[in-house]
Amino acid sequence: MSEEKRPGGLTALAVINFVFSGWGFLSLLGLAAFFAFIGVIPTEELQEPQRTQFEAFKNMGVPLFVFIFALTLISSVLLLLSGIGYLKQKKFLGRTLGNIYAVIAIVSSVVSGMMFPSELGGGFNIGSIIGLIYPVVTLILLNTTFRDDLTN
Amino acid sequence: MKLKTLTISHIRLISLYWSRFAVRSGSGLVYLLIALIFGLSMAHILIMPVEQLISRQKRDMGKTDPQVINQTIIDIGRPIIQFLFGQKTLEEIGQESMARQGGFGDKDGTSPNAAGGAKKDTALDPWSTFLLEKRPALLSAIFLLLLFGMPFAISFLGYNQVSGDIQSHGLRYLLLRTERSNIYFGRFLGTVIFSTVVMAIIVVTITFYLGMKTRIYPAGALTLWAFHGFLALSILMVPYIAICSLISASVDSPFLSLILAKVVIAGVLIMGLVGRLAWKPAKYVLYALPWGWQSNLLHFQPARCLLAAVGCFVYAGFILFLGYYHFERRDL
Repeated sequence: MSEEKRPGGLTALAVINFVFSGWGFLSLLGLAAFFAFIGVIPTEELQEPQRTQFEAFKNMGVPLFVFIFALTLISSVLLLLSGIGYLKQKKFLGRTLGNIYAVIAIVSSVVSGMMFPSELGGGFNIGSIIGLIYPVVTLILLNTTFRDDLTN
Repeated sequence: MKLKTLTISHIRLISLYWSRFAVRSGSGLVYLLIALIFGLSMAHILIMPVEQLISRQKRDMGKTDPQVINQTIIDIGRPIIQFLFGQKTLEEIGQESMARQGGFGDKDGTSPNAAGGAKKDTALDPWSTFLLEKRPALLSAIFLLLLFGMPFAISFLGYNQVSGDIQSHGLRYLLLRTERSNIYFGRFLGTVIFSTVVMAIIVVTITFYLGMKTRIYPAGALTLWAFHGFLALSILMVPYIAICSLISASVDSPFLSLILAKVVIAGVLIMGLVGRLAWKPAKYVLYALPWGWQSNLLHFQPARCLLAAVGCFVYAGFILFLGYYHFERRDL
C-alpha cells in the first residue's frame, strides 16, 4: 500500500506515539535526576501527603527503581519505533511493535498496581483506567481499523 | 431547498459509514482519546479525595463513617455547583477554600464541616440539594463538570464533516450517487452516533467504577442517575455538533473549520462571562448557544429537564437548517 493512502487516523496515532515517547524519555531523565539527588532534597517544608510520597520513593529500593526505569525505557523506544512504522505503514515496525507496546503497557499497568505501594500510584483506581486507555485503543485499532493498512 | 431529496436509506448508509470512518479519518480517534482522558480525569479528581478519606477511615477506625463521607462529597460538590450555576465566582470559591484550609487532609479523617465545626456558609438551594443529597452526589458533580467541559472537545469530532471533501472536491464523486441533503444530514447523524457511543463508554466506566470500587451508593440509584446523565450529555452534544456542521459546510479548509468551531463555542461562553462583568445584560450572549441553560438538563423538575432537552433539539434543528441552506447553494 502506498504512503499516499495512509489514513489520517494512522498519522494521528503516530503523532500521539511520538508525543508519549518524548514524554517517556523526559520522565526517564527526571527519574534519574530524582534518584541521584534524593538524599539532599529537604523534606521539612513538604506537606504530609507529599512527604509520604517522597518517603515511599526513597524506600523503594534499587530493584523496583530499575524495573520502573527499564519499563519506561522499553515503552518509550517501542512507541517511537512503532510511530515510525505507522507513518511508513510497515508490518513489523508498525503493527508488530505497536501490538508489543500495547501488551507491555497493559501488563505493566496491572503489575504496577499490584506491586507498588499506594503512595506511588499502586492499587487500582480510576487513574489506572486512564493509563490503560491508550494501550487498549492502540491494540484495538491496530487489529481492526488499521489492520490492512500496515502491510509494507 | 431540496429537502424532498432526503432518502432514509441513503442517510442511514452514510451515517453508519461516517460513524465507523470517524476513527479511521483521525478526527474520531483524537476526540475519543481527548473525551475519555478528560472525562475520566474529571472523575478521578473528584473521586480521589473520597477514596483517600475512606481508606484513612478504614485504617484509623477499622470502619467507614458514611455521614462524614457524604459531608466530604457535599464539600467537594458544592463549589462546583456554585460556580457552574453562577452563584459564586472562582475567586470567591478560592477564598472560601483557603479559609477552610486543611479540610480533606485532616489527620483524623474528618471533613471540616462534619467535624463539629459545621461552618456552613450558605444553605443549599433546592436544585443543589437535589443534586447533592437526593441523587448520588459524586456522579452529579462529575456530570456537571462534563456538561461544562465536553462542548469544548466536540469540535475535534465534528470539524471535518464536509470541509475536507469540499477542499479536495471529493464530494463531486459522491454526488453522482446521492444528493447533498443526504450527505449533509447523514454525516451529522454519523457524528452524533459516534459522540453518543463515546459518552456511553465514559458514563458506563465511571458508574461501574463508583459502583464496584467505592460502594457508597445503592446500585439502582446509581444506574438510574447514570442513565439520566448519559442522556443529558448525549443530547447536549447535538446542538454543538450542529454548529460544527454549519461551520464545516461554510469553509473549505478543515483546519479553519476546527479553529472557527473552537472560537465560536468558547467565544460565546467567554463573551457572556467576561461581558457581564462590564455590562450585566451581556450575560444573555450565553443563550446564543446552550451555555446559558444547559445545566437544566440535570434539573430537579422533570418539566425543566424536558424543556432543556427540547431546547437542545430546537437549537440543533435551526443551526442545522442554516448549514444545510448554505451547503445546498454553495459551489462544490
